[in-house]
Amino acid sequence: MADAILETLRGVVGPANLLTGVELSPYVVDGRTPTAAVFPGSVDEVSAVLALANDASIPVTPWGGGTGVGVGAPAARAGLVLGLRRLDRLIEHEPGDLTATVEAGATMQTLQAALTTRGQWLSLDPPDADVATVGGVLSANAAGPRRHLYGTARDLLLGLTVVCADGAIVHGGGKVVKNVAGYDLPKLFVGAFGSLGVIVEATVKLRPTPDAEILVAVRFGSLKDCGLAARAVSASDLLPSALDLVDGEAAAALGLDGDRPALVAGFDGLAEQVRWQRAEFARLCEAAGGGEVRDLPAATWGVLPTAARRALAEPAAVMRFSVLPARVAEVAERAGATARDAGLRAAFSAHAGVGAIVGALAGPRDAAEAVAAALRDWREAAHAGGGHAILEAAALAVKALMPVWDQPGAALRIMQRIKRQLDPKGILNAGRFVGGM
Amino acid sequence: MTDARKRSLRRELEAIVGRDGVLSDPEELLVYESDGLTLFRALADFVVFPRSAEDVAAIVRLTNREALPFVARGAGTGLSGGCLPSEGGVVISLMRMNRVLEVDYDNQIAVVEPGLVNLHLSWAVGPKGFYYAPDPSSQQACTIGGNIANNSGGPHTLKYGVTTNHVLGLEVVLPDGEIAWLGGRTRDALGYDLAGVFVGSEGTFGVATKVVVRILRKPQAVKTVLAVFDEVTQASEAVSAVIARGLVPAAMEMIDQLTIQAVEDAFGCGYPRDAAAALLIEVDGLAAGMESQVERIVAACRESGAREVRTARDEAERQLLWKGRKSAFGAYGRVSPAYMVMDGVIPRTRLPYVLNRVNQIVETHGLRVGNVFHAGDGNLHPNILYDPRIPGEEARVVAAGAEIMKVCAEVGGSISGEHGIGLEKADFMPFIFSAADLEFMRRLKDAFNPGGLCNPGKIFPTKKSCVEVGPVPYRPHAIEEKGLAQRF
Repeated sequence: MADAILETLRGVVGPANLLTGVELSPYVVDGRTPTAAVFPGSVDEVSAVLALANDASIPVTPWGGGTGVGVGAPAARAGLVLGLRRLDRLIEHEPGDLTATVEAGATMQTLQAALTTRGQWLSLDPPDADVATVGGVLSANAAGPRRHLYGTARDLLLGLTVVCADGAIVHGGGKVVKNVAGYDLPKLFVGAFGSLGVIVEATVKLRPTPDAEILVAVRFGSLKDCGLAARAVSASDLLPSALDLVDGEAAAALGLDGDRPALVAGFDGLAEQVRWQRAEFARLCEAAGGGEVRDLPAATWGVLPTAARRALAEPAAVMRFSVLPARVAEVAERAGATARDAGLRAAFSAHAGVGAIVGALAGPRDAAEAVAAALRDWREAAHAGGGHAILEAAALAVKALMPVWDQPGAALRIMQRIKRQLDPKGILNAGRFVGGM
Repeated sequence: MTDARKRSLRRELEAIVGRDGVLSDPEELLVYESDGLTLFRALADFVVFPRSAEDVAAIVRLTNREALPFVARGAGTGLSGGCLPSEGGVVISLMRMNRVLEVDYDNQIAVVEPGLVNLHLSWAVGPKGFYYAPDPSSQQACTIGGNIANNSGGPHTLKYGVTTNHVLGLEVVLPDGEIAWLGGRTRDALGYDLAGVFVGSEGTFGVATKVVVRILRKPQAVKTVLAVFDEVTQASEAVSAVIARGLVPAAMEMIDQLTIQAVEDAFGCGYPRDAAAALLIEVDGLAAGMESQVERIVAACRESGAREVRTARDEAERQLLWKGRKSAFGAYGRVSPAYMVMDGVIPRTRLPYVLNRVNQIVETHGLRVGNVFHAGDGNLHPNILYDPRIPGEEARVVAAGAEIMKVCAEVGGSISGEHGIGLEKADFMPFIFSAADLEFMRRLKDAFNPGGLCNPGKIFPTKKSCVEVGPVPYRPHAIEEKGLAQRF
């Protein structure tokens, strides 16, 4: 990158907000160090940075808290990291409307803390809330256990402001809870991993903080029994806020003793609703061969989504599956068997009611080939389970052996056309997304 | 189109869908010249009735070859002119693709064809204790495919969300005739959420031929409360008061005096005729805690000044109250020869201000308005009453409608909550979107529909129009005359 461009960028964001050299170590992704990291202080500055980068065809990686930036194929060349951390204000919170507008660089934790003081919350609970930013969470379509009842970003995002590759500032959606005017741009940016534009502001739908909330676990003899119990819960009158399944390894990472799978359920609402549901849950689990209902500390909520990842000291890869809910246990069992047969360690946790599984895999350092082979089978298992799987994290050696993304089929053609329309020079997270976009 | 070309195209279309699957006589085409918004009319060259995705693809390929515009159509209950063949060409009616293809109760999904009537899906899964949540008031007639085009809502969207929150995947025929799946049967999209983008694209991104929807278990318990107010402002404030008590009811509907009186004259549903406004509030979910939720609602309404709050004692009384709400539009016929329904959204805390403004605007134009709407999510439906026989009155309705949309935009709202932009509101889009926003949407459209043949002339502001645009005398749509649908 020409020094002249760096100078211009410095002029845009101020010298203190442009990092180079050794200061870039936190921004190394897949072994590649960016040329510089810039931290604009306003939407206009984001626009100016992108317009400059686009003119010079410099790749840009949007960066929130960095928790999801490892998702994607390795970048072909170095470019700019565009950090959103200075855009972190809560712009508006109107409790009566159950909506809030926030800048993309605010962390989830900061946002939730502000909302809580007025008795509300954003019903989205992705992992690493202290670091993960609103923009990053939306871009990565990150979620947590409460998605069982409250859905994911696509259900909660009402409107957004994005800066396009060429610097144009665009608004999509709106600030009201119901709106069908124009195309649903918010949907386009959820899960796009910053490849179509940089989210700088978001308006989200809120919910009142429930009066009471509990998290409980029941142990089962096998994943299969655990899965059957989850299905019984789904087919009952219960309305759990979370319904997670963890294997023995992940259960241990949650501090549950003994190497047995567990069904973890959350219930919220009025105290009497929570009480009734706990009792009914106990009854259903007992009928399915489960043990006693055990209450878990509130802190467990935050670590549930990462239980599988943390169960293994240094996972070589983490895979995110989206399968039919009724197939979760079967898919996890098959994937576990594949890992064992290959002499690898594996751990699984799943938002069972919605079919979202996280599988972690570990082996000796030189086992990239074996790890990739197992992952290929895991992806097959996801297909057999009616869905797909992506590599959420993996050593570079593993990424070299298998594609990060699954195949979207005939829809890829439309995705590529959208990418070409909106980012014709391909600067946004260049080459890292589905289909090499 | 020359007669010779028309005859030859008809033969080609018949080869795809059979002789009984093509309409081309002007008289038969008349039925398809408008949707539920009869202000706009446009005639197609053909209406065709495919039975499969392959049929649709073949039709679309033919229209491409002939450079003819095409538009998909469901039951025609839309209220924005969205399914009109505004530039001629081919209407693809999906009414013969109306099957429930598969229900997977274990995974709580159903795969259906686009021509399936919304309510018929709930009927199909009802015996097993399930239902399809989005419930537009036209659900007895409107189709799932039409719901997808407009991202339809309904009274219960306050708690359960709109169509997009219930669609996981779609098989679509793209505007170039290729068939592709967008999304699938699982919850998380792979790559861009094209199913999410397709829903609400008003038929400009292609034709859905199969739809994977979520079905929900029926709630264990339901309670319905009627709160009666002497002032509209009190009712508006009660909406916020309920929310402030930490409740998210399944539905929260407001009905004003003019509407109550029309409904009572027509059906006698038990609403007090002298009330300025009533709120119909429904909570559903677990049986446990139901009573205390109702207590909270009653308290919130009383504090806001309700003179009477009562809970439906049984299912029969509940149904009667809902009948009052759902038949309101039909009841306007008692008090006015015609009316036009508006659709706008505002932040619910601005309800008192905006309802006042709406009344002022309509009064200034020398007209009357009845309000019956989804108060919980701020989705207004002012219904402006008028007499189409009086010259100039329809033009005043259109002018008042535009002013109301401007007010919605000014308070940070939207110009459509569930009826769509279509032809009706295309020129209002700049009220809420900048040139850059619209340019972005155009590029997205070009990605799906580069040739522009798929439902042209909709959504984007343009002064150019090949259709007969109001003011033209109101006449009821064919399906209204047959009593198959009411306007909501």
